[in-house]
Amino acid sequence: MGQKIAIDVKDLRISYRCLKSFSIKRSLLHFKKAKAEVHEAVRGVSFSVPEGEILGIVGKNGSGKSTMLRAIAGIFSPDEGTIDLHGKSVSLLSIGVGFQKKLSGRENILLSGMLLGFSEEQVRAKMDEIIEFAGLGKFIDMPVKTYSSGMHSKLAFAITAILESDIMLIDEVLSVGDAKFKKKSYNKMKELISKEDRTVLIVSHSSQTLRKLCTSILWLHDGEVKMQGDTEEVLAAYEEFMS
Amino acid sequence: MKQFYIDLKKYFSYAKYSAKSDLKAEVASSYLNWLWWVLDPLLFMMVYTFIAVIVFRSKVQYFPVFVFVGLTMWSFFNKTVIGSVKIIRNNSAIVSKVYIPKFILILQKMMVNGFKMMVSFALVLVMMVIYRVPVTWNILYMIPVLIELALMTFGVCCFMLHFGVFVDDLYNVMNVVLRLMFYMSGIFYSISDRLSDPYRTILLELNPVSMLIESGRLCMLYSSTPHRKMLILWGLVAVTLCVAGIKTIYKYENSYVKVM
Repeated sequence: MGQKIAIDVKDLRISYRCLKSFSIKRSLLHFKKAKAEVHEAVRGVSFSVPEGEILGIVGKNGSGKSTMLRAIAGIFSPDEGTIDLHGKSVSLLSIGVGFQKKLSGRENILLSGMLLGFSEEQVRAKMDEIIEFAGLGKFIDMPVKTYSSGMHSKLAFAITAILESDIMLIDEVLSVGDAKFKKKSYNKMKELISKEDRTVLIVSHSSQTLRKLCTSILWLHDGEVKMQGDTEEVLAAYEEFMS
Repeated sequence: MKQFYIDLKKYFSYAKYSAKSDLKAEVASSYLNWLWWVLDPLLFMMVYTFIAVIVFRSKVQYFPVFVFVGLTMWSFFNKTVIGSVKIIRNNSAIVSKVYIPKFILILQKMMVNGFKMMVSFALVLVMMVIYRVPVTWNILYMIPVLIELALMTFGVCCFMLHFGVFVDDLYNVMNVVLRLMFYMSGIFYSISDRLSDPYRTILLELNPVSMLIESGRLCMLYSSTPHRKMLILWGLVAVTLCVAGIKTIYKYENSYVKVM
């Protein structure tokens, strides 16, 4: 298609090595060295995503979807292979990062936003929009610990949704809050996603959502790419495989 | 190292804001909480003064202020170091969801404890007035002493953070080590008066914390200059430790999440 590529993943391998951490007590009691167990979560995945594409990622539990997303977000580095984001900013849409429960929602917006790598001015500029979108009313100035769990996730969703980045990674967060907020966040999602130059990766188990949002689908199975391509085609194959 | 400056610039304001909100949160739960920032060192000062003056009949000049200076500097070091052992685990909610240079977490903790240290030092100044301690320009030596204390703490914390992830019971070990260090740092006795060589030299020159505390007391309370040569030597060690620590963290920080 001659489009610019936003994400280039080449032969990505991620393994969890020796998940057991070392303990002096244990090593004093047992001289035998515990064998490091290696679990390969992602084994040799390669794909590229053009700019502006909305890629859905499906696969059964434990097939390495979240691990891969986290690697793309830069939370941990791949053991082998490369991830090239072409210098774009990336954010993992995640719920309630770095909330300080004793402080008000307003202060937590700043805290969370700055943690995501935005400057204080950038967050302040978006503050009203976030507050309005979260729709918490007077609760915004109350400590976060008084929030119900729904309100908590509404606020968290609002923060990550309004503070935009070039590439958005979404890990199963489309079902937040009550029906009304769900609809609102779904629409917001759609609006965010439909901006032309934004690239989005969505991990979800809901074929329905993916059908509505995605332009193509990547199917991971046991850490390998099983299929990549057109939404309908891959989802149909995936559904047949799962049933 | 270049990455370090870039990250420091980018995340410094987060560390500052987060430290501020930590302190605010402490006050928010009860308005009397800030009182504990003052009461805590004050009460401990009384405990040690009781033990040293009444039980061991110590004859150090300005003894309560003497203890206070030591205690203030020690608790900054102690709290930050013990806190950084579990810092990744305690911040797992952040660490596993977003990339943050891990040393920022230490920086944040140092700011929180540093602020409390400043409150405590304000109290020291008040006590110096009460005890009519003569003040000279030598008190300005306190600035390099405190900078070095911060560097030393940061360097040690980098390694605590790193090994704290991989070694489960490092916390228990460090508790003992720090307690030993506490008694060897001359918080409530004067190493140079009480001990004779070789122990005096060993404790004063090989233990950076006791060297820094002693230096701090010399320039604040006794109008003299600190151990300048040792200050420079340990300063170099502290900087080396920081550089090595930062490099270690950068090399391994992406595997921390996997271990948890």
